[in-house]
Amino acid sequence: MELLFSNLAHGFGVALSFDNLLFALLGALIGTAIGVLPGIGPVATISLLLPITFGQPATTAIIMLAGIYYGAQYGGSTTAILLNLPGEVSSVVTALEGYKMARRGRAGAALTIAACGSFFAGSIATLVVAASGPMLTSVALSFGPADYFSLMLLGLIISAVLAQGSVLKSIAMVVLGVALGLVGTDVQTGQQRFTFGVPELSDGLGFVSIAMGIFGLGEIILNLERPEARSVMSGKVGSLMLTKEEFRRSIPSVLRGTLIGSALGILPGGGASLSAFGSYMMERKISKYRHEFGSGAVEGVAGPESANNAAAQTSFIPLLTLGIPSNAVMALMVGALIIQGIQPGPRMVEAQPDLFWGLICSMWVGNLMLLVINLPMIGMWVKLLQVPYKYLYPAILTFCAIGVYSLNNSVFDVYQTLFFGILGYIFSKLRMEAAPLLIGFVLGPMMEEHLRRAMLLSRGDVVVFIDRPISATLLAVAAITLGLMLLPNLRKGKDKALAE
Amino acid sequence: MKINAKDLWAGGLLMFLAVLGLYINGGFLGIGLEQHTLGSARRMGPGYMPMLVFWIQLGLGALVFFLALVNGPDPLEKWTKLDFVTLAISVAVGLIIWRVMESMGLTTNYIQVGIACFVALMVLAISPSWRPLGLVLASFAIFALLLEPLGLMLTIAALCIISSLADREHRVTSVAGMTVFLCILCWFVFIYELDIRVPLWPNSY
Repeated sequence: MELLFSNLAHGFGVALSFDNLLFALLGALIGTAIGVLPGIGPVATISLLLPITFGQPATTAIIMLAGIYYGAQYGGSTTAILLNLPGEVSSVVTALEGYKMARRGRAGAALTIAACGSFFAGSIATLVVAASGPMLTSVALSFGPADYFSLMLLGLIISAVLAQGSVLKSIAMVVLGVALGLVGTDVQTGQQRFTFGVPELSDGLGFVSIAMGIFGLGEIILNLERPEARSVMSGKVGSLMLTKEEFRRSIPSVLRGTLIGSALGILPGGGASLSAFGSYMMERKISKYRHEFGSGAVEGVAGPESANNAAAQTSFIPLLTLGIPSNAVMALMVGALIIQGIQPGPRMVEAQPDLFWGLICSMWVGNLMLLVINLPMIGMWVKLLQVPYKYLYPAILTFCAIGVYSLNNSVFDVYQTLFFGILGYIFSKLRMEAAPLLIGFVLGPMMEEHLRRAMLLSRGDVVVFIDRPISATLLAVAAITLGLMLLPNLRKGKDKALAE
Repeated sequence: MKINAKDLWAGGLLMFLAVLGLYINGGFLGIGLEQHTLGSARRMGPGYMPMLVFWIQLGLGALVFFLALVNGPDPLEKWTKLDFVTLAISVAVGLIIWRVMESMGLTTNYIQVGIACFVALMVLAISPSWRPLGLVLASFAIFALLLEPLGLMLTIAALCIISSLADREHRVTSVAGMTVFLCILCWFVFIYELDIRVPLWPNSY
């Protein structure tokens, strides 16, 4: 315990330095902006800003990128409540009750609950990360290649199961992502694979190009195709103050949401949206006011909002302890760390205490900043919402183009992005989910390495994956997850929940 | 009929890509483009993982394809005659430009890819339902084509003009204003603050 406090004190020392504070604020501001604006998400933005972070120390860079990530969670709930237009996937559930509250003239109250619940949940989750990080690290050190492989397999399967639409198609997309990850130089033999003699491809396909092409360009094209989908805000925000009644009712929901979010966020494969949804289901089942659900119940905002923010914080745990990204944003963090020369993994806590503890403390500081950014300054974000899309999309396009080009100062990357823009368009027309593909792409090369290593150690015997207890457990969980999805009832429940 | 057209195409696409991957990976009866060594389960060569991955993908693709025959209906959006014609012409024009430029040796900085893409996408944009797709991507292609010879400022202007054609509500004045604003903003963010290495004007490279 004492060690924890001295570590946290060290972390606050790092987080409160002028530079780190400034970049945490910058990240939080950018994150809120993109969370509010439709058509550009944290994945595209972080990939856009990745080249900018090269010149900074690793800690500062990661602090800013993390700020964008959780800032987007706050911003996404603003549009969900005011416009019924979830800025991020994880705030889809918030729109259900939040928008109804706004229609009743309680938009301000819904925003306050969302922000305060998020802050509370974020603070608790930060403590969870600080306490469990070092503990899990010692577990992680006993992981062998077979265990790593099984863990990543589990992560891929969970991410596919949680994606919208058919599980079968999502798994196929994960595999396609792994296949895209094969492009480039084979690590062990140095042979060029699937490069067609193009020198730019020897480092593999660009993660930024894939993310920006599929998510950035694809999104813009689809938005332009159906202009009627972009609604305009009606009505006022109203008073930000909660009534006594609302305050009393939201407290237990916030607590439950925090608990669910902290627990589910650790799962590899997309915790934030799962936990928001889980919390919403739970509130609807056990709340005393469940008859009010559907007409703007406070609990339906407080619970999921706390849950998704808690999960956003704890989803750093797999990254910081195992070096395994749990979602597309974390995959970008891995990229940012590797560029800085830091290999994310169990040794990071000891080798990079500044980074580890500084990041954790800056998360709390960032959450505090977001509270200020979001509540008193809500008027500014509402103004931003009123910028017509016709001015927004050329600006996003310009930033994307410059960002992609400046990665390697190469036009090849721009053409690569264009290609993935076309692919992303086809994917969305055929209802093939792109998020699992991205995670497959990131985890694929790591999986291949661990698979080859594990098989070499076991002399070609596949039994090693069942022999080791950790690996066997993880594989069993993966199999059960898949098996559950075959049950028609559960599948229907998931479809309904994600379709809303 | 209960055919799920979306899944049918999705399954077909997955299978096509898997077969293509297997073909490139080689190792089967000497057929293949790159011929990666397979190795054994104990010592996997560079071709082992691709083989596994593409076979799994082929299987999943086939499963999606055959399930699509019964779990529909989920039709694709209706294509007009114009859509088909522009798509065909666009692909053809793109491929011809690519081949011709390559045979003439004009391949510096992937210029053949850029021009082929740009022309093909502009052709595609003739049909109203392809317009957002064609123009947004064409503006991206023109960015890559013009950036190094013409510099950032003129390139941003070109990107703005082409991409703004995709939205009916744009007028000449609104495009001009937006272009000026974006040029100043990009100069401030990318040149003044971040100092990225990009030519600003023609011949200043």
